[in-house]
Amino acid sequence: MRVVIAEDEVLLRQGLRLLLEEGEFDVVAAVGDGDELMTAVGAHRPDLVITDIRMPPSNNDEGLRAARRIREQYPDTAIVVLSQYVQRRYAIELLDGRAARVGYLLKQRIADITAFRDDLHRVVDGGTALDPEIVAVLMSRAGRGAGVVRELTPRQREVLAYMAEGRSNAWIGQKLVLTEKAIVQHTSNIYDALGLPVAADDHRRVLAVIRYLDGVAG
Amino acid sequence: MERGTPGPPLAQSLGSALTLLLAVGVLFAALEAVMLLPVDREYWVILLFPVVALVWFVAGTVAWRRRPGSRIGLIIWIGGIATLVAGLVNTDVPLAAVMGAIFATVTIAVTVHLLLAFPSGRLPDTRSRVIVVAAYLTATVLQMPTAVFTGGILVPFGVPMDAEPAAIGDSVQRIAAFALSVATAFVLVDRLRRASPARRRVLAPLYGYGVGSVLLIPTVALALGLLPLTVVVAIQLTLVAGIAVAFAVGVMIGSFERTAEAEELAAWLGTEEPGRAPLRAAIARALGDPTVDVVYWLPVRDGFVDDRGVTVDLPDRDGRAAVVIESAGQPVGAIIYDAQLLPEPSRVRAVGRVAAIAIARERLTTELRTSQTALRHSRVRLVEAADRERLRIAKDLHDGLQVQLVLLALEAGRIEGAAEDAAARSEAAQLRQGIEAAADALRRLVHDVMPAALVERGLVLAAEDLVDRMPIPTRLETSGLEAPLGSTVMNVAYFIVAEGLANTAKHARAASASVRLIRRADVLTIEVADDGIGGATDRHDRGLAGLGDRVDAIGGRMSLASPPGGGTLLTAELPCGS
Repeated sequence: MRVVIAEDEVLLRQGLRLLLEEGEFDVVAAVGDGDELMTAVGAHRPDLVITDIRMPPSNNDEGLRAARRIREQYPDTAIVVLSQYVQRRYAIELLDGRAARVGYLLKQRIADITAFRDDLHRVVDGGTALDPEIVAVLMSRAGRGAGVVRELTPRQREVLAYMAEGRSNAWIGQKLVLTEKAIVQHTSNIYDALGLPVAADDHRRVLAVIRYLDGVAG
Repeated sequence: MERGTPGPPLAQSLGSALTLLLAVGVLFAALEAVMLLPVDREYWVILLFPVVALVWFVAGTVAWRRRPGSRIGLIIWIGGIATLVAGLVNTDVPLAAVMGAIFATVTIAVTVHLLLAFPSGRLPDTRSRVIVVAAYLTATVLQMPTAVFTGGILVPFGVPMDAEPAAIGDSVQRIAAFALSVATAFVLVDRLRRASPARRRVLAPLYGYGVGSVLLIPTVALALGLLPLTVVVAIQLTLVAGIAVAFAVGVMIGSFERTAEAEELAAWLGTEEPGRAPLRAAIARALGDPTVDVVYWLPVRDGFVDDRGVTVDLPDRDGRAAVVIESAGQPVGAIIYDAQLLPEPSRVRAVGRVAAIAIARERLTTELRTSQTALRHSRVRLVEAADRERLRIAKDLHDGLQVQLVLLALEAGRIEGAAEDAAARSEAAQLRQGIEAAADALRRLVHDVMPAALVERGLVLAAEDLVDRMPIPTRLETSGLEAPLGSTVMNVAYFIVAEGLANTAKHARAASASVRLIRRADVLTIEVADDGIGGATDRHDRGLAGLGDRVDAIGGRMSLASPPGGGTLLTAELPCGS
């Protein structure tokens, strides 16, 4: 799997490269700013791009803008955006109506190597990886005041949060030590409660859930 | 550069020069007294000439010393000299006697000069100049026939009296003198009419005495024809002595060094504050120089500044000159003027003396304003410096320690992955989680100081992120914030919203909250409101108090309305002119 890394901190860039290469990823380019990233993606047409948000030359949301351009110009390229701080607005902009092949994670998540590599694989395979912190903000925001989310059981809210992160039923079942069938039951109840149609695949499910949570803010 | 009011050294040198002059005057008067000794007339009357001259010298010296800016002292001195020379008519030295005869009436011309030049010593208009010149000519040129042919002075030398040319000269002189007296009286009455009541009280007796003397001295001989000549001369000379004394007193009791323009300025200074034209304009009008600038002495800068606090160097070229104005021995300001229009700095100095108090007051205002401006700028700089420093620390942490912690956690994660036995794996996992927790704490700390959204996208997104994380329904309304704000205003605004929302979440027990960020023209209005229990004060809130100082420093204002049971409304208005 061919990867392009964009990270302006040299040490972190090297750490990421090492981590990826040990996990059978083929790092074809590691760059330090938004312009180089666009050039590298154009030249290498990688399967996966991992990028920081705040990078030169503008030192504001350079990486996020590059990520959105890449998603538009190369829809087959998976993108994982890493950042020291995550916020709802960036997640919504990044998804932009299409939850496939996209991830948005706190930078420190890379330390849990196994989980991080799993996230990368999930994104490359067409899935979604949203940081639990973003999901927590979305859930809390949707649940404040009067709302349907508030009326869900704690277990249902837990399942809903994992769904929003982009997890599969199998993963959720394993995590909660429940059968996949029990999870399907939970998701079905959640759909009913929220009034959502049953989604065909995981990333459509993520989009529907995120849209719902983002839209019902108290 | 012209310096204004003489400083102490100059005043001292003027004083010693006048003392020396007086000594010379006394010497000449004594000399004349000795020259008159052999005369076989009544010596006491003749001696009155040097004595009266001495009176004029003393009066002139006193007037000169008291009012160096006025020329009255000098003119009195000239009158004294004229009187001394006139006294020579009684000597036995022929040439001196002729000189004396010619100068017999010059003292009267000097009196006319004094009357018309009082109080500045300068003749203010053409008519008075014409009268004075005519008076001197009448007293000297028209005196010559009489002096040479009559009076009996030439008789002892064998020259017979010739009455005819003398009589003609005398008649012409009398007619001229009468005409000049009338003209002088006319000018003086005109001046009295226009003078203020206070000045009239000083001028009227002086003019009365002066004009009276001018008319009386030549005619006293006729009026008192029955009296012996000695008595007539004594009366005449006493009247003459009185003139010098009267003018010296007049100069001293009124602050009459004022010139006409200074008087106008003084009138302006007396008017009520609100309707008053600016000081500069008043001085410009008084001097008749529209280019006049008034600058103020600012000790902190060790220099002069204009009314906006901009440092100004006093010019001494290109036709510009400056006169430094002092009050109580300290420089208070300077008048910069057109040196071609006003070749004599003394006029500017005179105006400056009148305006010194007003300039001193304007100087204080300017000083205060300048220091206030400096203070405000320095407070803004302090706020900006503090912001910069906080940002620098946050950036160092973000780029340095935070990255290192992530790398350390990554390293711990790799050890965890490579560990052979379960115990080692578990320990490495614990280590990783510990480092992650530290990274998380640091991340929040950095974010509190330097919110990522504020750095990356600006105020609206950063406020949105704050609102997103509120535990209660919170609305955000923004308008007019499409263009980026200055970083100081943006920072202050963000922290007001953050502090307001934090207080609401912590203390208000509110059901909902709202944030409004409205930029209209050059003002950013911030409102953070909730429907909670109220009763909040900024007195015990160190966060808010600190923010209040920063709001103050950038020229904004902030207020907190929080009646018990009535919710809380934090409002701030920040200037954000581009």
